[in-house]
Amino acid sequence: MSGPKADFVYPLRVQYCGNCSLPIEYCEYYPEYEKCKHWLERNLPTEFEKVKLEDAAADSGGGEDEKKRQKRGGKGMLKTKKKEDVPKLVTVSRAPRGKKKSVTVVTGLSTFDIDLKVAAKFFGSKFACGSSVTGDDEIVIQGDVKDDLYDVIPEKWPQIDEDSIDDLGDQKR
Amino acid sequence: MFKKFDEKDSISGVQQLKSSVQKGIRSKLLELYPHLESYIDQIIPKKDSFRIVKCHDHIEIMVNSAGELLFFHQREGPWMPTLKLLHKYPFFLPIQQVDKGAIRFVLSGANIMCPGLTSPGAQMTAAAKGTVVAVMAEGKQHALAVGMTSLSTDDIAKINKGVGVENCHYLNDGLWQMKAVK
Repeated sequence: MSGPKADFVYPLRVQYCGNCSLPIEYCEYYPEYEKCKHWLERNLPTEFEKVKLEDAAADSGGGEDEKKRQKRGGKGMLKTKKKEDVPKLVTVSRAPRGKKKSVTVVTGLSTFDIDLKVAAKFFGSKFACGSSVTGDDEIVIQGDVKDDLYDVIPEKWPQIDEDSIDDLGDQKR
Repeated sequence: MFKKFDEKDSISGVQQLKSSVQKGIRSKLLELYPHLESYIDQIIPKKDSFRIVKCHDHIEIMVNSAGELLFFHQREGPWMPTLKLLHKYPFFLPIQQVDKGAIRFVLSGANIMCPGLTSPGAQMTAAAKGTVVAVMAEGKQHALAVGMTSLSTDDIAKINKGVGVENCHYLNDGLWQMKAVK
């Protein structure tokens, strides 16, 4: 293209599909097109109408079109990336620290796509204590704050239900 | 380039960019993409501090202070825009349009073959060998890949065989799925 067009204002805003993250016009090449359609129907009904119309047009006028086009062999189909279906569950437990102190261990936050580093920082400032990311999906909060967590976590991250927080009780370190 | 790219494994470090280096990249970008001139202050404001994400295979990605991915390059290659950026400013790369049948192959990471660029549904804009181009598709508005021509467009039309444009970054590859860098 030869430079910016006068009748557009840049940056353009491109509508992306919430299911496959592609621009909507490319949804049809995604293996889970059906899911994309559902997403569209729910979130962008106007766009969905357009897609439907195009689909209908393609169905009716497809025959002639097919002949003209060069067919390609091979396995060009995209594979669906298998999402590991880890159950979305946060577990909290208490572990002893020394004789009379304890720490709280929170695991499973990353199954909700939460940034652990941010979460640890948040817990630290919320409970005024030390808090750190200690493992792949583990945050240790210094001090026994397990009971408070049931209120704090759903409040901070509404996508986590209070029922999906599991209590493992006391654990040995 | 980003077919097997994974956010977790492939990144080896993030670095603050020195302002002198930043200036260097800026002037290189302007040299490569003269059309960008009036918008470069929007994309790369002078005052903003940028970071560089170092990845495996000598890939470096330039990130602005908000963490958005802007440009990437491999070794000493030319800086190429990420597709998210290209969608916003689609005018600064020459466009090569592929026909409909090629889309699914491009989306799974294949290089763009010459016949896909010369068939009736396709269109080419003249470009020399080694130019960074946006790969568009027949009947679609937005780019689906960023590539580098491995033949000049004249040669593509003449030879009409083999790889015409090397696919560097396409929709739904590792870079596309990479989230903003903190």
